[in-house]
Amino acid sequence: MDRGVLMASLGPRPAGGMQSAMAGGESYTDAEVMLRVKAGDQSAFDFLVQKYRRPLVSFMYRMARNTAAAEDLAQEVFLRVYRSRQTYEASAKFTTWLYRIATNLAVNHARDTRKERPEVMVSLDEPDEETGTTMDVADHTITAEEGLVRRERLAAIRGKVEALPERQKLAVIMHKYQQMEYKQIAEVLKLSESATKSLLFRAYETLREQLKEFV
Amino acid sequence: MRCDKIREMMPDLASGLMGASPEIGGHLAACGACAGKLEEFRRTMELLEEWQAPEPSPYFDVRLQARLREEIAKPQAGWLAWFRRPVLAAALTVLMAVGVGLFFTRSGGIYKSGDDEIAVVESQAQSAEPGTAVSDLQALEKNHDLYSDFDLLDDLEVQHDVVANP
Ligand SMILES: [Zn+2]
Repeated sequence: MDRGVLMASLGPRPAGGMQSAMAGGESYTDAEVMLRVKAGDQSAFDFLVQKYRRPLVSFMYRMARNTAAAEDLAQEVFLRVYRSRQTYEASAKFTTWLYRIATNLAVNHARDTRKERPEVMVSLDEPDEETGTTMDVADHTITAEEGLVRRERLAAIRGKVEALPERQKLAVIMHKYQQMEYKQIAEVLKLSESATKSLLFRAYETLREQLKEFV
Repeated sequence: MRCDKIREMMPDLASGLMGASPEIGGHLAACGACAGKLEEFRRTMELLEEWQAPEPSPYFDVRLQARLREEIAKPQAGWLAWFRRPVLAAALTVLMAVGVGLFFTRSGGIYKSGDDEIAVVESQAQSAEPGTAVSDLQALEKNHDLYSDFDLLDDLEVQHDVVANP
């Protein structure tokens, strides 16, 4: 159950001691692995880090808008998981717990930095070393003009997702980019499933309306 | 099936997280409004796909391991952690020394002037009698160095582990 769809985005990564201890691989749920962390098994923790580092960095990247902060926040999630190992209860689904920690951190970070940077502009002139350029470089067939159009489109996507009300933004990022199910998003956001459905519908409806010139 | 039910499922239908059941398919075939909206949702979802996130940098694991080592090296997250901060410990020592110094100088009747006071305070701070609050603080400050060495040992052990188990 805990493995969920998140596994789909994770390549097969060797995870040292835990891997060999698991003998055959997929026999433990994340909750069970976390209980081994609780019991003092360091390799179980490494296993969880390897499994969730990529999804968490990408989640934080979309919430925090920059790579350095995203990595810092993702690390902070793991540190909090480690710190809370003694109080972890397997009653909660591991990924729900993980994303609740991540969500709290991301929201607090956004609040803290909003004061420093009242308005974050997505500039078209300044190259986006994180996504824009790598995309352009990867595709040698596109012209400079196409590159500019693409960058403008990307800036619009980022801008519109970021401009959504906080809960809608979180729901879209979890649904669209983390491929999480309604039920789980509902659990992380502490909403009912039907409230989550209508939250997501409203969010996508806004994005559809505001991005229609690009589709 | 009603339109609002279909629309509720649209984010999952459009992203492919949910397949269309015969019932949903039947509604979509008959209802142009829902079919049109679903198609627009699909294109919006596709557009959102362009916003890719970077992979974790090569430093991610190294940095996390370092932060984790710091975490593990903490003796306990209680009041003792305060004394592991050199600046705080030093500041506390001076504060206590000033307090003790003032007490001694005032009660002993040797209080003369502001300048002398500081001199007395300094001498008190440097040679505190054993068993006093000041000496305790000085001992703790020495312990701080000891704890730093423990950190170093932990670092070495972990590094050894890393080499042994790449
Ligand atoms: Zn309809």
